[in-house]
Amino acid sequence: MKNLKARGVNVASISYDSREVLRAFADTHKLEYPLLSDVGSKVIRAFGIFNTNVSEDNQMLYGIPFPGDYLIAPNGIVRDKVFLPDYQYRPTVSELMLRNFADDTGGSAVEVATSALTARISLSTDRCFPGQELGVALKFRLRPGWHVYGKPLPDNYRHLEVVFDGEIVGKQSFEFPPAKPVMLKALGETLPVYEGEFRAIGKLGIKWSPPPEVKFLGDSLGKRIEPGPYKLIGTLRFQACSDDVCEPPQAIRFELPLTLEADAPPAASKAD
Amino acid sequence: MDSKHNAAVINDMIRRYVAGAGDIKPQDWTEFVAAQNDGYRTGPEIGEKVPDFTLTDQYGKSRALAELTGPNGLLLVFVRSAHW
Repeated sequence: MKNLKARGVNVASISYDSREVLRAFADTHKLEYPLLSDVGSKVIRAFGIFNTNVSEDNQMLYGIPFPGDYLIAPNGIVRDKVFLPDYQYRPTVSELMLRNFADDTGGSAVEVATSALTARISLSTDRCFPGQELGVALKFRLRPGWHVYGKPLPDNYRHLEVVFDGEIVGKQSFEFPPAKPVMLKALGETLPVYEGEFRAIGKLGIKWSPPPEVKFLGDSLGKRIEPGPYKLIGTLRFQACSDDVCEPPQAIRFELPLTLEADAPPAASKAD
Repeated sequence: MDSKHNAAVINDMIRRYVAGAGDIKPQDWTEFVAAQNDGYRTGPEIGEKVPDFTLTDQYGKSRALAELTGPNGLLLVFVRSAHW
């Protein structure tokens, strides 16, 4: 939230709740941003995200939206958005900010340095809930005269990649900039390479844990992930070559601390 | 899935949940989530303009989109409810 404010981005939420419910919720959770009351779901309908799967006789759910977040530019144009059809992975606002403002994240970061390159790997946040998706920022700097390989690449070379593993890591994906095809005289081949400084971004899903409201189902939907401090383990793989030397492929392990939050307190109980 | 089926699945889950949730099986819950998310729509696309609006905030103050927006924009979060 501080990060957003520093970037000049305000926050507001919209739901079908009455003003009284929103006031109680904001007081309970000490929320200072505007919680807007869309009783009758007019604005939810205007956005085209009214959940039509719920019938009118369902007094509890009728009026809900398909939940999601928009990042709206000052001129009213959608700059980015995240919606959550895959309920097991919820993108975090910190990921959205990373994508749009290339924030140096505010999350935990680690630097890996070898004779040929420096890599800074940082997370968009250092705390999250199970099931959330984090942004990962990668910044690389190669020593002058050195390069690493991108894709596509013949089998006998190693392309640059970052892979996270471990018990709390779910799905992940990275977007690297296109590598530049360069004719390498020493090898007599043209291969895609990265040189100098460049960045990549990624998404890292933290495994989902059944929410508190389905505790009655036990572990049948998946194992519960306990809150607390964790270490995200990752591997940076690459092969660095200069104009005349080619190092063997390397795999460097790194660690990033991440705290998993306890379940949010029940949203409703204090509002009644 | 048709909307009648989805509505029935959703209503049935709420009824059983309110009744104590004792007989809900994992596949029922998965079906309920699927029924809720069927045909998921995400509204205005990136690059499109959002509809203008004015709504009341938690303090009863009337708030318009333009006034809510910061110098670099607005993160607008649509949530299902703050009540449950």
